[in-house]
Amino acid sequence: MAAQSYFPVPPGVGMEENFFSLDDILLSQERLPSRTECTFPRLGFLEKSTDSPHILEGSKMELPLWLAKGLYERKRRVLSVELPKVYKEGWRTVFTADPNVVDLHKMGPYYYGLGSQMLNFDSPENPEIAQALLQTFIGRFRRTMDSSQNAYNEDTSAFVEKLDCLEKSLFKSGQSGLNGFQSWEKGQASQLTASSLVLNYRKRKINDLQP
Amino acid sequence: MDASEVEFVAEKEVVQIIPNFSLDKIYLIGGDLGPFNPGLPVNVPVWLALNLKQRQKCRIVPPEWMDVDKLEEMRDLERKEETFTPVPSPYYMELTKLLLNHASDNIPKADEIRTLVKDLWDTRIAKLRLSADSFINQQEAHAKLDNLTLMEVNTIRAFLLDSLNCMYKLRSNLQPGSTKGQSNDY
Repeated sequence: MAAQSYFPVPPGVGMEENFFSLDDILLSQERLPSRTECTFPRLGFLEKSTDSPHILEGSKMELPLWLAKGLYERKRRVLSVELPKVYKEGWRTVFTADPNVVDLHKMGPYYYGLGSQMLNFDSPENPEIAQALLQTFIGRFRRTMDSSQNAYNEDTSAFVEKLDCLEKSLFKSGQSGLNGFQSWEKGQASQLTASSLVLNYRKRKINDLQP
Repeated sequence: MDASEVEFVAEKEVVQIIPNFSLDKIYLIGGDLGPFNPGLPVNVPVWLALNLKQRQKCRIVPPEWMDVDKLEEMRDLERKEETFTPVPSPYYMELTKLLLNHASDNIPKADEIRTLVKDLWDTRIAKLRLSADSFINQQEAHAKLDNLTLMEVNTIRAFLLDSLNCMYKLRSNLQPGSTKGQSNDY
């Protein structure tokens, strides 16, 4: 029986991240082009391109998501964040035309996650971004389902590398369902096998000790 | 749920055997099992039938539906219909595997039966995937599927639930502000 002793916290796919999810933590490392709306006094040492002691208003920087989210606030106008080009108009039309062709891993391995986080930044294109995310997911679902349920004991890496992390975890759960069924049908489910912990631990076996 | 757990539940089904020993009626918690007389058929659950067969104390009578002609009919009907047809037994897959592995000498044309049941299974799984796909494509809220067996549901359950969860969360992005402060359970 495949009982897990460690249940990883799944990523929060919507606008709120899960604090404990490793996927969300890695996702928040993605850099976003942003522009400061006010000066940051005495922080000039962080900005290598200019020599001033302060970060001036209007300077363009690439900030990671966690920093941008923390600093963003509508009323005080500290920061304005630009959309990465994958979520802009041009790419959105590509996605609506045919979602299956795109290599989502290259577009940032966390396409859906980052897209949902971008909705926090109150850009005027928010409804279109949300709609594009949903339509892309639905369009790619068929391919993911078919290949995860049908590729038994085959090399799937060529297909999997074009998937975003969210789709990869879906693919994995589909594969595990398939593998469970196939191994039951072959009768492997009732065979006793040595646990991988024991094999890897390399305990001395009695057969090796006795000459 | 594991496939082996579904098989365990399936072993409760009743099958007919012909014992070659005699025993008085036995009273188990699950029910009474009638007196065993050599040569007279008696109905027992599958787990007992398999155990007796392995100890060579009985002969298993194949269930009515495990017949080449009947299965061929059902397979052709399944291929014609777009929805799921009534299934020979709610545990047809598990019973086929168990009975054909342990008692294939008592069942005529065992290989053909295995092939036919596999065809039936493949057709049903293909229909299931088609309906899951249209479910997601049209973003329905709920669907009703008749005549599905536990084994079929079990193979697709993890994948479908995960993808429906993702779809739900992506959909809730479309209505901002209504989902702030949602609780997650671990």
